[in-house]
Amino acid sequence: MGKVKMKRKSTRIDMTAMSDVTVLLLTFFMLTSTFLQKEPATVITPSSVSEIKVPMTNVSTILVSPEGNVFVGVTGEADPEVAEGKWASDSIRRVIFNNAIERYEDYTGKKLNLNGLQRQQATEQFAKMNMFGVPFDRIPEFFSLKSEDQENWLAGKGLGKGALSNVRPSDVGIPMDDIKYVDQDGNPQTTNEFQIWMRAIYNSGNDNLQSAMRKGEGIAVKADQSTRYDVVHKVLDNLQTIKYNRFTVMTALKTSED
Amino acid sequence: MDIHVDFTPMVDMNMLLISFFMLCTTMIKSQTLNITLPSNDKNIEQKDLAKAAESEAVTLILTSDYDQNGSVEDNTIYYFFGKPYMEDADGDGLLDTPEDPSMGVLHAEKFVGDKEGVQQGIRSILHKRNESVLEKIDSLKKEWRRPGSQMTDAEFEAQAKAIRNDSTISRPVVVIKATPEASWASIISALDEMQINQITRYQINEINGVDSALIQDYVNKQSAQR
Repeated sequence: MGKVKMKRKSTRIDMTAMSDVTVLLLTFFMLTSTFLQKEPATVITPSSVSEIKVPMTNVSTILVSPEGNVFVGVTGEADPEVAEGKWASDSIRRVIFNNAIERYEDYTGKKLNLNGLQRQQATEQFAKMNMFGVPFDRIPEFFSLKSEDQENWLAGKGLGKGALSNVRPSDVGIPMDDIKYVDQDGNPQTTNEFQIWMRAIYNSGNDNLQSAMRKGEGIAVKADQSTRYDVVHKVLDNLQTIKYNRFTVMTALKTSED
Repeated sequence: MDIHVDFTPMVDMNMLLISFFMLCTTMIKSQTLNITLPSNDKNIEQKDLAKAAESEAVTLILTSDYDQNGSVEDNTIYYFFGKPYMEDADGDGLLDTPEDPSMGVLHAEKFVGDKEGVQQGIRSILHKRNESVLEKIDSLKKEWRRPGSQMTDAEFEAQAKAIRNDSTISRPVVVIKATPEASWASIISALDEMQINQITRYQINEINGVDSALIQDYVNKQSAQR
């Protein structure tokens, strides 16, 4: 009987095709990905049937943490309509920071303890920050800290310990206590730090941001679904007071039967 | 000569990178909901404010219960039509039922959405109030979806908008009020119901003493029944 001769086969698999596929997938994910923006508080937005997307450019975001701390920020990409990408988020933020501090010093008559170089450094750090929320009088101290301490401060972690030994829970978030001042005509007026920030964002010199905020699509309020209404109401009430009564709230998509 | 390059390590590396990008990507972009609130300006006079017919007014009062961990357990919507009825003639401490029991009496409902295509909970209440508008929109939609229909999407949208804002049909005016405890999610859900039920006239308003008294009375009646 003749033996059937088994031909030995190599177990090698040609991986070239596999590699092609993975590289394609990789390119797809690299091109489509927008990275999760780091935020001081984790917020799960409520779901809604609304299908309007958050605009990519010219949005000022107000984040309300479940504890009731308020943060503001300008996020988004450089506005393609403005020449040479001049108004990328970080250059807008530089203007906002200085604008807000000037307004605060104007209204309160206090001077922040920031000399030229410190102020420059603080501006640069602020320009890289996505969300910000610290009372004005703590700003010099905040920007003298290391970046991880700054993150902990905003997140309200490890307060009263180490580098944050004299940070109280009330120093997290933008306070909404009344600031009394006298306007040009000599009339007494009240404002607060949150309103100063919103006005500084509005007057940051970018016309597109300004008109988006007027139309309402440029202001996005982001709050957790289980946050109590009185916490969010404080923010909404302040927005109404400075006549930004049109705005959007961030929601997640909910599917509903038609 | 036969040159073979082993691509296995290359594939390994690519897979790692892919998994990294997949985990870091947010594919779902957040949605937004537009809100317009009335101005806080105190100088606006009462006569300038739009008045609604009493028969068309619906007031929703939202409130939420929390569990020990502070997460929302339950959202309740109290609602009444027209003006609240606040008479207590028999003096038993509970509000009386008015002559027309459909108006001015507080009821409670939940957000339950749809079940097998039928509206449930608060949605069915609002659906009934806005029925004439919804029926017209439904027939318009049928016409639009009919095979061979000439209607474009833009035309449909324009006509639907005209129906929603048609002042000759009786449409409800909804006032949404929230107690301080109401969760943010319940307010968004209430605004959602407006969109789902095609209600165009609604506003968010502050809760007042009458509303709290009504809720208190409702709770008292519930415990008296038990």
